[in-house]
Amino acid sequence: MPIGRITIDTEGCKGCTLCATACLPRLLQTDTTYLNSLGYHPTRLVDPAGQCTGCGLCAVICPDACITVYRLRVARQPAARVGTLI
Amino acid sequence: MTRELLKGNEAMAEAAIRVGLQAYFGYPITPQTELLEHMARRMPELGRVFLQAESEVAVINMVYGAACTGARVMTSSSSPGMSLMMEGISYIAGSDVPCVLIDVMRGGPGLGNIAPSQADYFQIVKGGGHGDYHLIVLAPATVQEAIDLTCLAFDLAEKYRTIAVVLTDGNVGQLMEPAELPPMRPIRKPADQPAPAWALRGADARPKRVVSSIHLLPEEEETFNLKLQARLAEIRQNEVRFTEYALADADYAVVAFGTAGRVSQTAVKQARARGLRVGLFRPISLYPFPEAQLAELASRVKGLLVVEMNSGQMVEDVRLAVNGRAPVKFYGRMGGVVPYPDEVLEAIEKLVAADARAQTALAAPRSA
Repeated sequence: MPIGRITIDTEGCKGCTLCATACLPRLLQTDTTYLNSLGYHPTRLVDPAGQCTGCGLCAVICPDACITVYRLRVARQPAARVGTLI
Repeated sequence: MTRELLKGNEAMAEAAIRVGLQAYFGYPITPQTELLEHMARRMPELGRVFLQAESEVAVINMVYGAACTGARVMTSSSSPGMSLMMEGISYIAGSDVPCVLIDVMRGGPGLGNIAPSQADYFQIVKGGGHGDYHLIVLAPATVQEAIDLTCLAFDLAEKYRTIAVVLTDGNVGQLMEPAELPPMRPIRKPADQPAPAWALRGADARPKRVVSSIHLLPEEEETFNLKLQARLAEIRQNEVRFTEYALADADYAVVAFGTAGRVSQTAVKQARARGLRVGLFRPISLYPFPEAQLAELASRVKGLLVVEMNSGQMVEDVRLAVNGRAPVKFYGRMGGVVPYPDEVLEAIEKLVAADARAQTALAAPRSA
């Protein structure tokens, strides 16, 4: 299961592709099959292997604040106890 | 005031509102739509006029009508929309009423695309509609400049009773960057400031006036044209604006306006880092064009490179201004493609290399 997931406000996206340059595993692509109401091709997440870590760099760089990032909260394992008190 | 992160289109809209815009008429078109959307939100809440018309042809005629009352009015559009407005623009120019237009240029010809372009330089700077007239044309390269020039456009339009255009492109329109808006100015109330002597606000207790662009007698039309030309000469005398970067010791100059100017500035910095003595001359007023300044510049550099996002339009005006004093080369991208600084850098290096070859050829002794 992927750790990260993002949603993109496709109506606000102007297709500047800054997010694609910020995404280290290169998971963001311009969706040339879809035009928003202003006529821009918005970005979409293409992540078949579940590589998105939810790092949030795309959301930070987006000048129009169109990206929301969700990150799976992984429950922390309690630290193994070292030694035993008698 | 504080610096805010603003989108070019919204910044220009808010700037116009803050310098007392009383009526906005418009029709949506990317990449300008945010400007209209901002007006749709703000103008009604301030009790001012916002009207989305059925087409750009209706828009410009509404602007014409509202401008005849002496109110601060404007519209904005992008390339195909501006083409539709050209008839009305000529009528406004022929009637001597002030208004402001914002043209956020996109790729063309035809419907083209919605990417940033500078292909409408000829259309806007040379007049566009029929008849002998010019518009005051201001070209910003940053969001801050877009704000400042929008404010200035209203003052110039009213000062010279003419149309002032902020000519920008989809890049500046869509760009988000920090900028500072002017403080909110109160709008002029009729009681505070009497209507201009030509404005139409009802002929109560005075003879009727007519604002018109028709002068059926050729001699009358010529008299009107002479007055218009005298005013344009005054504009050319007083309103030239430009900015220079690293030109003091430059051997070569890059000339570019708007977004192309901004890209070129990065290229000039890179060229400087490589030891090339290059500077940038960026015209801000495209009409009046900084002819005298370019002529002076051409007499002290070895060559000029004009960079535009079109097939070469401003380069014609640069060549006229330079008038053979130095070679003028051109680099351009078309169809909505914005050049990268390294492309411009390569063009600069070619210009320098060609000049070096020419110098060597001149210095070489002629064979008998």
